[in-house]
Amino acid sequence: MSTKILELRDVTIKFGGVTALNTVNFHVNQGEICALIGPNGAGKTTVFNVVTGVYPVTSGEIIFQGKNLAKLKPFRVTKSGIARTFQNVRLFGDMTTLENVLTASDVHKKSGLVGSLFGSPRSRREEKESKARAHELLEFLGLDHRADQLAKNLPYGDQRRLEIARAMGTEPKLLMLDEPAAGFNPAEKIDLANTIKRIRDRGYTVLLIEHDMSLIMGISDRVAVLDFGEKIADDIPSKVQDDPKVIEAYLGVPSDAS
Amino acid sequence: MINIRDKGAEIWENWNRPTRVIFVLSTITIIALLPFAAAWGPTSFLDTPITSFKNVLVYPVGMFVLMALGLNIVVGKSGLLDLGYVAFFAIGAYSQAILSTSFGWSTWEALPVGIGLAMVSGVLLGLPALRLRGDYLAIITLGFGEIVRIVILNSRKVTGGPDGIAGIKNPPAIFGLEFDLFHPEHFFWLVGVMVLLVIWMVRRFTVRRPGRAWEAIRQDEDVASLMGVNTLVYKLWSFVIGAAVGGAGGVLYASKVMVISPDMFKFEVSVLILACVVFGGIGNIWGVVLGASLLAYIPDRIRFISDARQVIFGLVLIIMMNLRPDGLLPRKKREKISEKRKK
Ligand SMILES: Nc1ncnc2c1ncn2[C@@H]1O[C@H](COP(=O)(O)OP(=O)(O)OP(=O)(O)O)[C@@H](O)[C@H]1O
Ligand SMILES: [Mg+2]
Repeated sequence: MSTKILELRDVTIKFGGVTALNTVNFHVNQGEICALIGPNGAGKTTVFNVVTGVYPVTSGEIIFQGKNLAKLKPFRVTKSGIARTFQNVRLFGDMTTLENVLTASDVHKKSGLVGSLFGSPRSRREEKESKARAHELLEFLGLDHRADQLAKNLPYGDQRRLEIARAMGTEPKLLMLDEPAAGFNPAEKIDLANTIKRIRDRGYTVLLIEHDMSLIMGISDRVAVLDFGEKIADDIPSKVQDDPKVIEAYLGVPSDAS
Repeated sequence: MINIRDKGAEIWENWNRPTRVIFVLSTITIIALLPFAAAWGPTSFLDTPITSFKNVLVYPVGMFVLMALGLNIVVGKSGLLDLGYVAFFAIGAYSQAILSTSFGWSTWEALPVGIGLAMVSGVLLGLPALRLRGDYLAIITLGFGEIVRIVILNSRKVTGGPDGIAGIKNPPAIFGLEFDLFHPEHFFWLVGVMVLLVIWMVRRFTVRRPGRAWEAIRQDEDVASLMGVNTLVYKLWSFVIGAAVGGAGGVLYASKVMVISPDMFKFEVSVLILACVVFGGIGNIWGVVLGASLLAYIPDRIRFISDARQVIFGLVLIIMMNLRPDGLLPRKKREKISEKRKK
């Protein structure tokens, strides 16, 4: 029996009249690739936003590694071991590829302002270590040859990969990817699927939002389905695929209702 | 349009260490000799009518460069619009004035106090204000600038109210250099040293963790926070460091002019310093130095046309910002090549 790394208990969030998530119970197991799917506007990105502290939950609890994340500021959530990417690429465009990853890796540094000013041994060592690590991460995602280019000048696919590299820069335990394959061609998708598997094999737990079914079925250990803010299925990929409720959510209401 | 800043950086990166050292030392020497430029034939066109050139170099030129560099940490580096920067200048100046006239402290003793008080007020203003963003922050800082001036104006017992404080002592001599009415060039060198210190500090920060945090906040504060940057703390630091530079400037200014009054610390000064930053190239220290030097110097150079002066000054600003909206020397746009060369 695997342990739950992240658990949402009865999470509800309302934006004015819209209930974006309605008493959602959902968890991610340590070491798995878990997919979160659902039609547009189902509330998938909202799950990421409540977990990372962008929005406070209206009610319910979010437990990460035994600790309640509710009311933590985003940077503290990141520090505790959760990192994410964004559905619409949100890199630091005027920074280089390397600097993007370095900025993220600063989260665990001990040296601060004074150390930086006087070049304290610890600050120098930390700079050196995080540079080496950042290069290693970029290498892993096939971006190291772009290390010194400005992020905004990277080709689209590389920008998406850099989002992943930057998130990994924070040394997360749980990596949350919001539609990382959006806009990719089939070859790029296969490539990305392999990358995600390699990320998992490095010991990360991955929570993945994705629309492409074949990608999800190929790599996920488990799939949860959201529809109108409610979880309607949560099982191994092959079972979810045949679930009538899921098919209905994706294809619309059965014909007799019209 | 070619980016002069990038071109310069490229040339710099291709130089070896000795060439760089020679370049830096000769630049510093030339700037140190500037006070004598007006008296020397070939450069005498630099002389300012009415006000003495040496004094113009100290205030406004040197002082504005210092202040603009300080404000650039706030506005340029972390993207926080501060419209009340003059408040820190005033706090530094009044610290020096009061400590000198009432307690007999020398400038060197008052300097850390002035800087410290400016920093403390930076924290007091920053803690509530930095929770707000953009326009709201700008308005609050503007209000702060006015509040400080009005408090000074009304605290007659301590600050002399509208009459200000007179009889502030000049700094005691260091290394045999006298600081008095007859040696404005010594003041200029003193301000120059401060400017060098600030440049050193900013360059250190820029390539390390604080600089990255500020840059991330400037570009996208929400994402910065999601990538683990403690945004409030880093915004506060940039605010407080900026305040420290402003406070230091104020202390030096008061001990140079010897008489200060509240009308020297009006809103216009905040705007003018901000104009220096934007005109020169927001976020880039060399641009800021150049911009502040020019904006501080030009009005005194064309003082002979008296009334038309402000109009011409305004025209120069408008034309410049149309031709080069990112300032004279815009911030880094180019990709770094230094890393590649090392391999
Ligand atoms: N900040 C917000 N304010 C108001 N409504 C919001 C906000 N964020 C999300 N919503 C609403 O919550 C619902 C879920 O949005 P969410 O972005 O989570 O969908 P999604 O499942 O990620 O969809 P997509 O596949 O299009 O990305 C939508 O109806 C959306 O309009
Ligand atoms: Mg979404």
